[in-house]
Amino acid sequence: MKKLIAMGLSLYCAGLLTAQESELTTVMTPAFTPISWDRLVAAREEPENWLMYSGTLDSQRYSPLDQINTKNVDQLEMKWAYQIPVIDRAETVPLVVDGIMFITEAPSNVVAVDARTGRQYWRYDHEMPDDLRICCGRNNRGVAILGETLFMSTLDAHLVAIDARTGNLLWDVEVAPYDSGYSKTAAPLIVKDKVVTGIAGGEFGIRGFIDAYDPATGELEWRQYVIPGPGEFGNDTWSGESWRTGGASTWITGSYDPELNQIYWGTGNPGPDWNGDVRLGDNLYSDSVVALNGDSGELEWYFQFTPHDVHDYDSIQIPILVDLPIDGEEVPVMLWANRNGFFYTLDRRDGKFLFGKPFATVTWAEGLDPVSGAPIRVPGMAPTYEGIMVSPPIVGATNWYSPGYSQDTGLFYVTSFDGEQEFFKRDEDYEEGERYTGGGGRYTQPMDAYYSAIRAIDPASAEIQWEFPIMPRSSSGITTTAGGLVFTGSADGYFFALDAESGNELWNISLGRRVHAAPITYAVDGQQFVTIASGNVVYTFGLDD
Amino acid sequence: MTKGTGYPTQWLTAFLVVLVLACSAIKLLPVVHAEDAGNLYNTAVDVLLGKRYFERQCSRCHGFDATGNDEAGGPNLTGRLRNASTNLGIYNVIRDGVEGTAMLPVATDVPDATLWQLVAYIDSLRYDPESVTLDGDAIRGADLFTGRGDCASCHMVNGSGGRMGPDLSRIGEENAPEDLMLAMTSPHDEVAPRWWTVRITGPDGNLREGFRMGEDSFALRIMDKEENLWSFRKSQIQSYERIEESTMPSYEGKLSDSELDDLVAYMFSLRREVLPK
Repeated sequence: MKKLIAMGLSLYCAGLLTAQESELTTVMTPAFTPISWDRLVAAREEPENWLMYSGTLDSQRYSPLDQINTKNVDQLEMKWAYQIPVIDRAETVPLVVDGIMFITEAPSNVVAVDARTGRQYWRYDHEMPDDLRICCGRNNRGVAILGETLFMSTLDAHLVAIDARTGNLLWDVEVAPYDSGYSKTAAPLIVKDKVVTGIAGGEFGIRGFIDAYDPATGELEWRQYVIPGPGEFGNDTWSGESWRTGGASTWITGSYDPELNQIYWGTGNPGPDWNGDVRLGDNLYSDSVVALNGDSGELEWYFQFTPHDVHDYDSIQIPILVDLPIDGEEVPVMLWANRNGFFYTLDRRDGKFLFGKPFATVTWAEGLDPVSGAPIRVPGMAPTYEGIMVSPPIVGATNWYSPGYSQDTGLFYVTSFDGEQEFFKRDEDYEEGERYTGGGGRYTQPMDAYYSAIRAIDPASAEIQWEFPIMPRSSSGITTTAGGLVFTGSADGYFFALDAESGNELWNISLGRRVHAAPITYAVDGQQFVTIASGNVVYTFGLDD
Repeated sequence: MTKGTGYPTQWLTAFLVVLVLACSAIKLLPVVHAEDAGNLYNTAVDVLLGKRYFERQCSRCHGFDATGNDEAGGPNLTGRLRNASTNLGIYNVIRDGVEGTAMLPVATDVPDATLWQLVAYIDSLRYDPESVTLDGDAIRGADLFTGRGDCASCHMVNGSGGRMGPDLSRIGEENAPEDLMLAMTSPHDEVAPRWWTVRITGPDGNLREGFRMGEDSFALRIMDKEENLWSFRKSQIQSYERIEESTMPSYEGKLSDSELDDLVAYMFSLRREVLPK
């Protein structure tokens, strides 16, 4: 009898175990289904996933998830941490697809983990030469996905396609020769049946471009140079042969409007950065946003924020696309807080300037022309051999870090910096593969004497609605949610949430190292999570289960 | 693709690290002779050319004046160097990079002469204390420091002294004599944020004043005059005032010129003990 009871118990327990295992298995391996172009267009309708670098094609970084909200965000707790094995600065913005998270690592690797636990499915390590030409660290900011394939830029200026289920390399193409100064750090953007991607190297005298590749083969479909060649409109905005080495890199991800079928992409500084004497003229299309046809890549319009820039004010910001009521009409606009210190609202149908105002300390220009939006320069602010103090400093009033927009508040949120720097000019000759910057900059006060802030801007007036001051030179991106939250980080290693309406502090946690990335939010099995990279670690937070 | 990260891989990694270190050591041995030959590119022109190369190739991470860039992570190169103590060491860091950091090896086609000019420039930023002749007397300065100058009531040297000013045990390593003089005669000119004063009314309504030991986006930590350590959440404090000045008085006119020279000589002598070779 005792034997029978024991047997019965063990069978019962085995049955329980089997039931638990099968339930657990179902939960922990959600079905990964291919990502079609239609799913990418409608990405906001599946907020449990984060399907591209900026969340959606309009790059608002606004998530309809509201399980975590203003009332309970102070109860967030850490769920897991993923330690990147390479010691470097993580700028990754992961993707989440049906419960699987894809994290990129320095220098150009990618790992797939379970989005509920951070435990690894597979990893891909990209082999690279030692003698890279990179301006600003070994960074990678993320991947793009189409179908079952991930696409990643690499520091040696390649584009690789990786099987999302296994990490197997599908193809690897050279976008440009790394030893001439080209490199790649940004997540590509999928547009219909193409992989659209930019190039870095603005400190090495490259000639910037935007490319589109066939996702199946890696074949180049089109290339749009953002410095016009001889005979093309705008080539005469470069003196002599300076267009050949004029920079205008395209080192951050753009946005796309399916209705207008236009790709919007920011362009970087003209080169050499701080010595404009060798490249007289407006230097088109450096420091601009370019609108390209979504099929052919042809230029449809441009808006140049900083003509003939001599302060390294790249327009490497992510265009946020919203429809804004103006005079009773819903106008498709583009919101842009620029490294040069001005916030702009542009009509994205044709690039027409609508409004603009400074959102941080600016001394190089006294304002914007109310009709054209061109800067009204303060004389004598160009770099000199002896040095001259200018705001914003080289790092800019903001930079590549993603801004955010809330569909609930209608506000635009940006990480901004009020600083100043002494700018120097130097004479340099171009040498292929060598730095070509023509000067540099120097802070004259301790960094703690300056301020950063999260600023909320009303796009209809360009006025600052509120600000939340933080320690200087923050470089974190921003994500907003339908829970009424603004998530972001700080240079001193905090991850925090603000009330999107008021800017009030709601929650913060010290993660110990600089946050140099943008947060994402997603859900698995009905539970919302928020993820951020800090220092060398990717952290994920959620409410109590 | 690399698969698996189990113990065997870790042991293999550890073995490889040891192997690489051993190989590096072997590789360094014959090159040491280059140190014996000295840097052949160290004229004033070489230093200037090295400076130009530095401004162009290195300044993005190390700062335009080589004083470092905390954002890019490039350290200050004007004082003690982390990874090199000799010209050959500097050369090796530039040529080979520093593994596991953003300091990458220089492109292989950059000629040695250019690198040695760069070494000459970086070396010129460092101080050779032996080459400096001072008017003051370090022994008299030491007496002044603890005696009439009353420096030791605020500053610690080798474990003795007060906590109300920076520890000066190694002050001579990264400061030129003229900087040391300025720090005594014009103490408000350059004050490190650690020594700014803050006045805070805490959540209990009490006003506390102290040195700004740490401030971040959400919190503040201070040491008050009684040497108590306090921590505040910014969201809970009622008032906050920051004074970006030094609490140290100027010694100009309070001590004679020769006494100030003696203190400079003493402080300039304060450096890490150099072990005999």
